[in-house]
Amino acid sequence: MPPAETSQATHDTEPKTSAQPSASQGQPTNGSTATHPSTPGPSSVQAAATPPANEEKLSNAELKKRAKAEKQAKRAQKKADEGVPPTQTGPSNPLRSAQQQQRQRAPPTPREASIPLPSLATTRQQGRQTQSQTRPLPHRLAHSTPQSQQETQVVENKNVALFEHLYKQPRRTTIAGVSKDVYRDVLAEGKSRLKHYAEPADNIQMIESYVTPPGTSLPRNLTLLLSPQIEYLGSCRSLSMSTRNAIRWLKLLINDVDIETAEEKAKSDLCEAIDNFIREKIIIADQLIASMASSKIKDGDTILTYAKSKVVTKTLLQAHAQGTKFKVIVIDSRPLFEGKELVQELAAAGLDVQYSLTHAISHLMQSASKVFLGAHAMLSNGRLYSRIGTAVVAMNASKLAKPVIVCCESIKFTDQLALDSIVTNEIVPPNELLLPEREGQERKQALASWRELPNLQLLDLMYDVTPADYIDMVITEYGSLPPSSVISIYRLSLST
Amino acid sequence: MSFAPNLSSFLGSLKESPTNVELSLQTLVDLFKRRQIRGSRQCAIATAHLLKQVIRRFKARDTVSLIKRVQDVGQKLTDAQPKELAISNIIRRILGVIRDEADGDKEGDAFQNYSSSEPGTPRKKGSMSPPQGQQNGVPVIADLEALHRPPLLTSHTSYMASTNGPIVTSMFSLLSQPLSDTSTPGSQSPAQQLYSSFNPTLRPQELSAEVIDGIDEIIDELDNMDDQIASYAIDHIHSNEIILTHGTSLTVQRFLLRAASKRRFTVIHAEGYPNQHHETHATITGKHKASSDGDPDQSDVQRFAKPLIEAGITVVLIPDAAVFALMSRVNKVILGTHAVLANGGLIASAGVKSIALAAREHRTPVVVVTGVYKLCPTFVFDFDSFIEYGEPGCVLGCAEDSDLIGKVDVENPLHDYVEGELVDLFITNLGGHAPFSLSSVITEQYRSEDTDLAVGN
Repeated sequence: MPPAETSQATHDTEPKTSAQPSASQGQPTNGSTATHPSTPGPSSVQAAATPPANEEKLSNAELKKRAKAEKQAKRAQKKADEGVPPTQTGPSNPLRSAQQQQRQRAPPTPREASIPLPSLATTRQQGRQTQSQTRPLPHRLAHSTPQSQQETQVVENKNVALFEHLYKQPRRTTIAGVSKDVYRDVLAEGKSRLKHYAEPADNIQMIESYVTPPGTSLPRNLTLLLSPQIEYLGSCRSLSMSTRNAIRWLKLLINDVDIETAEEKAKSDLCEAIDNFIREKIIIADQLIASMASSKIKDGDTILTYAKSKVVTKTLLQAHAQGTKFKVIVIDSRPLFEGKELVQELAAAGLDVQYSLTHAISHLMQSASKVFLGAHAMLSNGRLYSRIGTAVVAMNASKLAKPVIVCCESIKFTDQLALDSIVTNEIVPPNELLLPEREGQERKQALASWRELPNLQLLDLMYDVTPADYIDMVITEYGSLPPSSVISIYRLSLST
Repeated sequence: MSFAPNLSSFLGSLKESPTNVELSLQTLVDLFKRRQIRGSRQCAIATAHLLKQVIRRFKARDTVSLIKRVQDVGQKLTDAQPKELAISNIIRRILGVIRDEADGDKEGDAFQNYSSSEPGTPRKKGSMSPPQGQQNGVPVIADLEALHRPPLLTSHTSYMASTNGPIVTSMFSLLSQPLSDTSTPGSQSPAQQLYSSFNPTLRPQELSAEVIDGIDEIIDELDNMDDQIASYAIDHIHSNEIILTHGTSLTVQRFLLRAASKRRFTVIHAEGYPNQHHETHATITGKHKASSDGDPDQSDVQRFAKPLIEAGITVVLIPDAAVFALMSRVNKVILGTHAVLANGGLIASAGVKSIALAAREHRTPVVVVTGVYKLCPTFVFDFDSFIEYGEPGCVLGCAEDSDLIGKVDVENPLHDYVEGELVDLFITNLGGHAPFSLSSVITEQYRSEDTDLAVGN
C-alpha cells in the first residue's frame, strides 16, 4: 500500500475519477498545483474526490486501511515539518507508488521532482479534511480494485472449459422459490428426479385436480398453467426427450379442445387421453419391445448390457421366463452403479449373471454374443443418446462384430441431432465422483479437498452419444429397424 | 522375514547379506509370487540387482557355465511370475552382456569392446555408472576391474556403434565393429575377430567384473530411463493441447511434467477405477500416503512425482466411461504400458484398450511411452495368458453391496491386450519409434539366442 494517504489520494483520484486518463494528463495537474499555489489545487482535489458515488458504506477492512493510511500521512507530515528534503524521500515516493498502482510508466519529470513542500503539506491537510468530511472515495477506488482481483484469483473456476455451456443449466436442490402455481404432485416428482436418475415419462395428473377459473377458456388457461409446472421440472434437471415429447403432445391436445365443450367433459376427455397415452406409449410399448427383443435371445447366448434400462431388464426377465438358457454380463460404471440394481433383479430371478465395470469391457466383450442397450433418446441422425459409457460398450462390440441391439420406445425418438457428446449433455455435480468415506478410515481420500487444489477439475457427464455405425438394430414398438430409420419412426409417432 | 517385504527392503537385504545368493534368490522368488514386488519397473530393478549378486558370487571358470547359471536363475524368476515380462527381458539383456563380453574378450585384452557391455543404449556423458561408488559390496572386484580396464572415454563410441554392437550375428559385427574401432587405437581387424574362435576359458574375476559393469549400466539405465524419455516430451506436445492419459504410469507423469515446463496444455485423466483409482487420485493431487505402507509403487511415486497441477497444468479427472465422449476433443492420447510384445501389441492396464479404440475411431494419435526394458522379443499368440486378474472385491466396492456377493460372478482383469495397430508412436529412452520399426529396436536389444528363455535350457 502507498505510504502516504492524502498525496496518494490526490494523484489517485484525479486519473481515476476522470476515467483513467493518461499519465501526461495527471502529471501537469500536479505540476499546476505545485507551481501555482494560488490555483485551488486542493479544491480541485476535493471536487474530484467527491463524486456522488462516494457515500457508500465502508467495510471493516477499508476502515482499517484508512486508519493505517492516516497514520502514515501523519508520519509523512511530521517528516515534512522536520524539514526533510522532500524531493527524494517524502513526496516523490507516494507519487511514484501511486503511479505504479495505476501502471503509468511515465518517468518523473524534473518539475514533478521539485514539488515545493508547503503546497504538498497543504494538500495533505486539505486532503485529510476532505476525507473527514466526505467518505474517502480515493481509498475505495484504490483498494477495491486489487481486492476484487484477489478475490477472483482465490475463487478458481472449477468448471471444465469445454463444458462451460452446460454448467449454466441450474440444478434445483430445494423447493424454495418455486412458483406457487406448481402443483404438489409435480413438486414431488421434481424431488424424486433430483434423488434418482429415474426417467419419468410424464406425470401430469394435476389436470385431475384442475378447475378452470370462471371466465376464461379452458385451453388457454390450462396451457398457461402448464408452463410453470414444466419450467419447474426442467429446473430440477433438464427435461428428457421423452418428457419433452409428452409435453408437446399434451399441449397439442389441450389446444385441440373445443372451447364450447363443457369443463367436466373436457377434463375427463383430457385425463382419458393422457391415460391412453401413457398406456400406449409406455406400458404397452415396453411390453411389445420386451417380447420382440426377448425373441432375439437364443439358447446359449451371452447377453452383455450396460448400466440399467427398464426395457432391457424386462426383456431379459421375459426371455428367462420363457425358458431360454442364457448368461448375462452386466457392465457398470462409476459413479452411479446402476448396474448393481439390475444384477439384483436378475439374480433374484435366478439368472446367471456376471458383473464388472467399464475397465473390463474389452475383455468381457469377447465372451458376449449380443449386446442389448437401453436409450435415453434416439437422435434423428441415428445416434444413440444414452448413459455415459454406452458408446464405449457399443464401440467394443462393433469392433468384435457383436450385434448391438438398442431397445427404445418411440416416445424417446426426437428430431434433435447431435454429432458429439459435448454440445448437448448434462453435468453431474462433480462431488458425486468423490469416493465414499468409509467408517474407520483414518486417511482422507486424496480427492476430498479437490476444490482447494488449483488447476484440478472433476468432470462427470451424464450421457454420451453413440455413433449410428455401432448400432445394428433398434427395437421399438413399431418393430425392429436400423438406426437410419429413426427419423421416419419419429414422424410416424408424431402422426399417431 | 524380518523386513517389510518390498523392493527397497529386498535391495537392502542384498546389501546386508551379499554372500547368501540362494537365500536372496528364494526371497525374490517369494516376493514375485506374493506380488509384493510388482510392476515392470520394480521387477526389472529387483532382477538386475539379484543377477548382479549371482554373477558376483559365481565361481565358475567359463562363460558357458555362467550363462547356464544365469539362465537357471532366470528360469526360477520367470517361473515365479511369468506375467511380469520385464523380468525375462532383463535376464535377456544380462545374458546378452555376458555373451558380448565373451565375444569381445576372445580377442584378448588389448582391446575391450566397451560398447557391447551396454547394448542398445545411446551413451551420453554422465550416464555411465560410477564404477566404485555403486558397488558397495565388493570393492575388490572394482579395483581389479580398474586395473584391467583402460579408462574409456564416452565419446569413443558413437551411437551407431553402440546400437549396432549387440546385433549378434557376425555379419553385423563385421559392419559395425570398424565404426567403433576407428576411434580406438590398437583395434583388431574385423576379419581377425570373425575368425577367432570362441574362447570359453577366461579369468572368472575379469569376466564377472565386465559383466557386473554391464549390469550396473542396465541398472543405471533403468534409473535414468524416465528422464531420457521425458527429454522427448517437447517434441511431441504443443501448446494448448488436450491430452488424455490413463492410470498412474510414472513415466507418463514425468513426460508430461517435462512438457509442462515449456508448454501450457490440458490433461484429461481417466482414473482407472477400480484397480488404480486410489493411486491415480494420489498422483493427480500429489497427496500420497504419509507413510509408505509397504507398497513400492506408492513410495516410488511419492519420491519423484510432483503433481501436474502444481506445474500449472489443468488436470481434469474423468471416470473411465467418459473417454469416448471426450475423445472428439482430445488431441493426443499418451499412455503407459506394462509390456510391449514383439508384434507391437501392448499389455497395458485394463481400460486402455477402450481408450485406444476410441482414439482410433476419432483418428486421435496414440503415443505410448515406455522404457526399452518393457519391449519383449517373444511373439505370443495367446494374449489372454498375460492378463492378470485382480480382486473381485474391488469391483463390488462398497460394503453395502455385500448382498450381491455369492449371487453374481465378478470379473476383474488388471490388464488389456491392445493391438499394436492402435498405437501411432512409441517413445522409449532411445527415442521415438513408429510401430513397424519397433521390431528392429527389439532385435538390437537382445541376442537372438536368448529370445526363447524357457526352451533354451
